[in-house]
Formats: sequence, C-alpha cells, structure tokens
Amino acid sequence: MTTEQETPQSTQPKRPGRTDGVMTEFTVFTKIKPEEADALREDLAAMSSQGDARQAMEQIGTLHSARHVMFDNGTRHMFASVFDGSWDSYIDDFAKTAVGERFERVFRHTEGFPGIKDPNVKDWFAAQQQTAGVFATAYPDLTVQQVWKDQRVNQAFQEVLDTPEFRAALDNPANAALLATPAFQKLLNEAQG
Amino acid sequence: MSEAASTSGPGVSVEIDDIQSGALHARPSPYVGRFFLLRIDDRHAGRAMLGRMLPATEGGLPTVNPDQGAWVTVALTFQGLRALGVPQESLDSFPPEFQQGMAARAEHLGDTGESDPAQWEKPFGTPDVHMGIVALAPDAERLQKALEHERAALQETPGVEIIWQQEVHQLPGGRTSFGFRDGISHPGIEGVGSGTNPHEAPLKAGEFILGYPDETGNLPPMPQPEVLGRNGTYLAVRKLHTKVAAWRQYLRSNSSSPEEEGLLGAKMVGRWPSGAPLTLSPDHDDEALGADPHRNNAFGYKENDDRGLKCPAGAHIRRINPRDATIVGATRLHRIIRRGTSYGPPLPEGVLEDDGADRGLIGVFIGAHLDRQFEFIKSEWVEDGNFIGFSGEKDPVAGHHDGTGTMTVPAKPVRRRLQNLPSFVVTRGGEYCFLPSLSALRWLSELKG
Ligand code: HEM
Repeated sequence: MTTEQETPQSTQPKRPGRTDGVMTEFTVFTKIKPEEADALREDLAAMSSQGDARQAMEQIGTLHSARHVMFDNGTRHMFASVFDGSWDSYIDDFAKTAVGERFERVFRHTEGFPGIKDPNVKDWFAAQQQTAGVFATAYPDLTVQQVWKDQRVNQAFQEVLDTPEFRAALDNPANAALLATPAFQKLLNEAQG
Repeated sequence: MSEAASTSGPGVSVEIDDIQSGALHARPSPYVGRFFLLRIDDRHAGRAMLGRMLPATEGGLPTVNPDQGAWVTVALTFQGLRALGVPQESLDSFPPEFQQGMAARAEHLGDTGESDPAQWEKPFGTPDVHMGIVALAPDAERLQKALEHERAALQETPGVEIIWQQEVHQLPGGRTSFGFRDGISHPGIEGVGSGTNPHEAPLKAGEFILGYPDETGNLPPMPQPEVLGRNGTYLAVRKLHTKVAAWRQYLRSNSSSPEEEGLLGAKMVGRWPSGAPLTLSPDHDDEALGADPHRNNAFGYKENDDRGLKCPAGAHIRRINPRDATIVGATRLHRIIRRGTSYGPPLPEGVLEDDGADRGLIGVFIGAHLDRQFEFIKSEWVEDGNFIGFSGEKDPVAGHHDGTGTMTVPAKPVRRRLQNLPSFVVTRGGEYCFLPSLSALRWLSELKG
C-alpha cells in the first residue's frame, strides 16, 4: 500500500488523513509481533468487555468512533477512528489519560511501536497511517461535544413536551407573542412529531 | 490539582544562573522598556556583537524584588542563527515550526485577514529579522543605563543594524489599553520558583527550560549541540494592536447601563478592571481583592464554577488557562509564561471614537515547546471553543473574529449569547525566537569560520 498524501494547503506540516467538516479520519495499519496475536486478541477482548471503552471516550471528548481489527490470520492490525480537529494537537494530552494506557496495551504487540509517551510517537503513527480514499460523515458540522449537547437538549425538550403544564402554557393567551416568533415556530415544528 | 506545591522538584536542580533573567523574572511594576530587532549582515560582526552584549546580559534571579533591577535579554530567530553561521546540522535540530518562523504559521495561528503577515509592520515576518533585544527597567534612568552597553556594542560593530524598535511602558494602574490590570497570573516552575496560584502545583522545569524533564516525563526535544540548547527556551513575540474604541463601542451597544457595561467587559476578560477575578467576585469589582497578590490569583474553577456561571468558560483568562475546569485535554501540557508590555498612549477615559493612535501590547510568550504551548493555545484555545463545548466560538478578547463571532455567557435562567463580535486585536507582527543560555551565547559568540 502506498500512502496518498493530501496536498498541503498551508505551510504547516500536514499529517495524512482525510477531513469532512470538523472531522478527520485516522487509520493505521500495523504488523503484529510474531507470537503475540493471541495476547493482542486477549487484550482486545478484555478492553471491549470491561465497558471502560465508553469511559475512555468520555475522557477524550473528541473521538466519534474507533475500532481495532485483526486480520490476515492474526498477522496484522488496523486501528480506524474518526475524531474532531487535528489528531496530533491532542496526542500528548491523550497519552496522559486512560486512553494512553489503552493505546499502550494494544500497540505494544505491534512491530516498532516506540511507546505512547515516546516523543517520536506522533511520527511513528503517521508513518503507519493510510489516508482514506473516501471519507464522508452524516453530520459534518457537529463535534462530539455538540452531539452530546444536542442529545441532552433533545432529551430535556421531549420531557418538557410530555408535561401537561407545557400543553397548557401553549394554550394560554399570555404566551401568544412568544408562540408567534419564528424561533418558537421552528421549535413547535420539531415538536409536532 | 491540589498536589503539594513545592518550589524545588524532587531531584531536579535547575542551573538558574545560566538561564537569561528575562525568561525567569517577573517584570518590574511599573516598567519602561524597549524592544529592538536587528539584522546581522556579517556573521563575524554578529558574533562580536553577542560577545560584547554578554557582560550586560544577566542570568538567574539576581534580586528578590524585580523592581530593583534592569535587565537586557538577547534572543535569536532561526534566520539569525543561520546568519551567525551556526552549523547546518545544528540548525536542522531545531523544531520545524521554529525553522519556518511565525509568519509561515499564520494560517494555523489564525493570523488571517487584517492580521495576515502580508499586512504586518516591516520588518516582521521577513528574513531580515535576526536578533531581538529587550531591555526592561523600573524607570527611564535605569533603562538608559541598561541600554548604554548595547549602544556601545552596536557602535563598535558595523555589520549589525537595528531595523525596528518599539518603546513600551506601563499604563497607569498596570492596566492594558482595554483598561484591565495585567501581569497577575504566572505559573510556578519546579526548582525555580513558585507561581501566583497556590492551587496549581509548580510545573516541571522542562515545560519552560530545555534540558530538564517536562510534564510528559520526557526531555523536551533540544537543539544540538548540548551547549547551544541546554538552559535555553523559546519566545513567541507578538505586536498586538488593540482597537480600544471598538471595544468600548461594543460594550456600550450591548448593554443598557454603565453597570451592565462593566459586567459585560468582565465576563469577556474573566477579571474586573482592578484584576479581581470573577470567580471570587462574580457581581462587582473589588479593588482590594484585585490589588492583593495573595488572593487575586488564588482560585480554581471546578469546585465552585465548573459551569461558568461566574466566570464564563469562554472568558479570556479561563480559555487561556482553564486551571482545573473540565475541558477536552490536559491543561498542564499547555501552560505558558507571559511577559506582556504595553505600547502607545492610552485612549482617554470615556472616548468612543478611534483616534488613529497605535496602541496595544508587545506580548512575549515563553515555553520550551512552541507547538504544544503557544501554538496549541492560540489555535485550540483562542481561535476555537470545542475544548469547552462551544465549537466555533473564539476568545472574545484575543481571538480574530470577522464580525460574526459569538460568545456564550452562562447565566440563569438562560445563557446570554453575545453576537457579531468583531476583532478587538490585530496582529501587527511576530517572530519565534530562541532564547539561548549564557553559555550558549558565549558559544555562539565564539563560533569559528
Ligand atoms: C491584546 C491582546 C490581549 C490582551 C489585551 C490580554 C489581556 C489579558 C489580561 C487583562 C489578563 C488578566 C491578567 C492576568 O491574569 O495576569 C490576561 C491574562 C492572560 N493572558 Fe492575555 N491578553 C491578550 C492576548 C493574549 C494572548 C494572545 C495570549 C496567549 C496566546 C494571552 C495569554 C494570557 C494568559 C496565559 C493569561 C493568564 C491567564 C490565567 O493564568 O488565568 N493573552 N490577558
């Protein structure tokens, strides 16, 4: 496989990885160390069943999705992820959290990994990375933070709709001016179903 | 966050006397000073100039009271190191962003539109800027004295030329041109000195000085040879023009009383004009608090104000040092030492029309990692808001807005959202400089060939 570098738009050293709106995709392919496929399989199983994957995602706050895949009869490994912004701005931050431990745990089984706290780890990852030919997301303008916020707001909104007091307030002529505003009409439009 | 604050790190002994004082000193208050940019036309002359400057360049923390001394700081750009004839392999060992220089990083840093390097005051951003000299003193007399040496050194050294200079001085009350007191918050450094926030444990020396472990546990990447890199650090120097009339007009037209106007400004800065932090005094200014160095920076956000109802997460001081607040990422990896100085005349109190005068701040930001300190702070914390959950919002004070900027000001029962924010700050120029140790200055002055 050859890496298809995007043409840099600025003079800043650009990492590979295609973007769509606020998001960047990040996929690395590595070779699993001989004799370590089973160990990696066990680590992945432990990491997926512990339920702390979710906690790690919450701690990161910019990762939309991530998957670890073993292939070619346990000789190779793919890590594919989608995150907000530029990956290398935050890699030092991640290394300091539980996410750092999770990365360490997986990539220690792959060839050449210098360690998550090694100063050259960004370059190592970039060297294993392959840029996607196509990358598209359903909500290109929304960061993880916004998706979470939107979810919380919608949940609260639905709960408000469930209250009889809200229905009564809509019928109350004292609120007519509010109801007539285009902004509130938009809200009611969403409330119809 | 409340790890015991010790002033010297376990096992770390920092060679303070080899570090230029300018990196470690809090500036005097009041202060006067002068910034110079120089071009080196002849490498032998450049080296001789450094040699002549050496006796005037102090290291360490010579006096407990920064108001007593005057000092001179000498820094070099990448082009300057090249002009001095530093060997290629050594030049190659500097980090890429430093080699490129600040102008080349404009897009990443948000220096676009009226802050675009194409608009910068010359010689900023040109390959002519080789050396920066800063002299700071408590008064004009001591500044003159501090500068005598430089003047003599220059006279004796044709082949080195001053190509730009800027006089700076403290405005009344230690305030910036917007009217807010500055120079309050400083981080502590293990083995060097304590900071102004007792709730923040001192940072590892390697965050600010090359040659020592940093917060990641690694040694910062250090230019070679060792004598050149060790005990050095990097400066991001910026000339920031402030649009004071536009600031006042914005506050005026977005509030309905002088009290509201005052509160709005404070919400944008995170402090009241006196320096009193909103976190400790959310409803009104408190002169005594602002003036009290034991209290005016002794706070965190998490315990009493994680949601930002007192100090908005988007306020300048909370963006640029989120302390213990809940954010995306790790605050301690993005701390910076700041030496801001004011230039230009203050806009008289009450004036809302621009008088055309150039006034603002020469900001000097110091750290051992340009990429994950200055550049990260500017691009992630000043020019975006995703780290605090407000994607797309920028720093209301220091961000480069295009007139459509917004800022969420948390409030009960509902938040307020500021709209149509213009830029109040324009980048007029900037340079990345390397601040060599005294040993490195000597080494540079003695280069052969
Ligand atoms: C002209 C533009 C700017 C103005 C008028 C300004 C003004 C201020 C003021 C009034 C304070 C509060 C005083 C204090 O806490 O010491 C402050 C704090 C600070 N500023 Fe700025 N600033 C500007 C640009 C910047 C930029 C571009 C950066 C960095 C990239 C920056 C970094 C900081 C930091 C780190 C603090 C301390 C925050 C804390 O520790 O709580 N400032 N600034």
